[in-house]
Amino acid sequence: MIDSPFSQGKSILHSLDPRVKILVVSLYSFLTAVEKRPVVLLYASFLPVILFFLSRLRIREVVKRMLPVNGFVLLLWLFLPFSFPGEKIFTLGPLVATREGILYCLILTWKSNLIFLTTLLLLSTSPIFHLVHALHHLRLPSRLVQLFYFTYRYIPVVHREYTRLSQAAKIRGFQPGNNLHTYRSTGYLVGMLILRAYERSQRIYQAMLARGFQGTFWTLHHFQWRKADSLAGVIFFLYFLGLCYLKWL
Amino acid sequence: MNIPVIELAGISIAFPGRGKVLSDLDFSLYAGEKVGIKGTNGSGKTTLLHVMMGLIKPDAGVIKIFGRERKEEKDFREVRRHIGLLFQDSDDQLFSPTVEEDIAFGPLNLRKSREEVRRIVEEMCTLLGIENLRDRFSHTLSHGEKRLVALATILAMEPRVLLLDEPTTALDEKTTRRIEELLVSQKQLTYCIVSHDMNFLGKVSEKLYILEKGRLEG
Amino acid sequence: MHISEGILSAPVLLSGAGVTIIGTALGLRGMKEEKIPRTALLSSAFFVASLVHVPVGPSSAHLILNGLVGILLGWAAFPAILLGLTLQAALFQFGGLTTLGVNTMNMALPAVICYFLFHLLVKKKSTALTGIAGFLAGFLGVLLSGLMVALSLVFTGEYFRQVAKLVIIVHLPIMFIEGVITGFIVVFLRKVKPEILEG
Repeated sequence: MIDSPFSQGKSILHSLDPRVKILVVSLYSFLTAVEKRPVVLLYASFLPVILFFLSRLRIREVVKRMLPVNGFVLLLWLFLPFSFPGEKIFTLGPLVATREGILYCLILTWKSNLIFLTTLLLLSTSPIFHLVHALHHLRLPSRLVQLFYFTYRYIPVVHREYTRLSQAAKIRGFQPGNNLHTYRSTGYLVGMLILRAYERSQRIYQAMLARGFQGTFWTLHHFQWRKADSLAGVIFFLYFLGLCYLKWL
Repeated sequence: MNIPVIELAGISIAFPGRGKVLSDLDFSLYAGEKVGIKGTNGSGKTTLLHVMMGLIKPDAGVIKIFGRERKEEKDFREVRRHIGLLFQDSDDQLFSPTVEEDIAFGPLNLRKSREEVRRIVEEMCTLLGIENLRDRFSHTLSHGEKRLVALATILAMEPRVLLLDEPTTALDEKTTRRIEELLVSQKQLTYCIVSHDMNFLGKVSEKLYILEKGRLEG
Repeated sequence: MHISEGILSAPVLLSGAGVTIIGTALGLRGMKEEKIPRTALLSSAFFVASLVHVPVGPSSAHLILNGLVGILLGWAAFPAILLGLTLQAALFQFGGLTTLGVNTMNMALPAVICYFLFHLLVKKKSTALTGIAGFLAGFLGVLLSGLMVALSLVFTGEYFRQVAKLVIIVHLPIMFIEGVITGFIVVFLRKVKPEILEG
């Protein structure tokens, strides 16, 4: 469950330096998130499309990952078309859907999917550990990076404990329902998870002390910056220049 | 032989809800000795090892390690650098992102140079036959692989004494044999292994105790 | 509830990011080295707990537990929730980078408020009092979160008013269930390992 299946490929996108990816995703997301004009969004659409072809991922898999994202967007479609004053398109009882409302919804849906697609293509094509390592190089506070490492490292371990506990409950005939028994059992199960996580954290700290930990985390391995990364950097830079030009000039 | 590297005298410890786990226990381990301690589940084997490492404070008794009495947390800090403890659950011990980083964690804490640390990592991987795991993420390893890597992280500290807590539990035949061979082949090692696996203990230890009712019987 | 990318206005996104940066800095400042594994493991546990679904009427909802995160972690709830949401974004595409600040703030600020209101109360001798404090923390955590999500939408534009109302209505049954479950969790911890609640 814990690494994106996309992280295992061998494309140009997979081998791109994670630092470049994080910077590109951040810049792209923020520039696109606050944009409303179709022209700019059209230009912005080129990036995820090109990235998709470079990634050599299968379109079905990508679409499958994009579906849950659109849940919130769907919720907006239920309300927003009827919340704008303007030219009437159709009516639904007392509700009036307007051209402005529908256009606004279209823009939101477009933007939302552009940002998610770009994030998905760039970030899920690197193992999470490499991204965390990249955050360290991008000068995030080292304590935050350490927390990130440990949290991610132990999610599968805690998840295994959860699976065991819930299987044990099932074997003894536990069936969740809308009742106090369910809430109590769930509470105790989560309590047990927290308890075990807490006790494990003490053992981990002991193990760290046992190997001479004195407050600083040292790392052995560092990223190698390659010529291809510089080239990619230049191309992305030119692309963003174009985006800014359209946006502000 | 001279003075023991680890010497316990009159150690007693009780836990709430569990009663007396160790009672007036004596134990000594000399340099070069290979000792096995057998005990059933819940007999206090893990507690005994943790007392030696100063991870649990006993209610009574004297702990002498490398000839000096150890009481406070800071007395044990030096001890831990020279005694390697293999935990029962390898997941507690492998907290770094990759196998390589995990093996490097200890030596880097000892402020060894990067070249030297790389050499140590290389050596450990060869010694345990885990060269192919170097770049793997710790959490994707199998149970047996985790145990071998955990052992490598301990040996990378070049410990004077090894304490192994149930090293072969739930391991397949092949991995168990690999650990056996390693322990037997390293003649200079001093270690104390606790286990309930009599077969394994018989092969790797020269001296055997049984932990029963909180005390060691020869 | 996470708000999607590309929906909120720039001022809302920026305020969220600002609050989250300050909260995270405060959470990290008070954290000694020995607390890193502890905070991280609790974060892992909360991440896994957030995958647990409980029935709500004919449907089901996943646990949020931000009230409990607050009680156990105090200001460290900010980094813990920030990491949790980042991982959810990276692994399951729930949310993305630009909304990370707002979404973290909407969950973590109520958590910290619950910490200040209830962390003394859960340590009290009486089990009943512990349970009630737990219930209130669970209840209030979700209530405040729902309100903040609604406000983030309304501050973006008046036309989100309907959606915002719906968000609050959806949160109503979840508040009670979260309250009850958090109550049981806190009582459980109080019995078997009171030191976890000591902070």
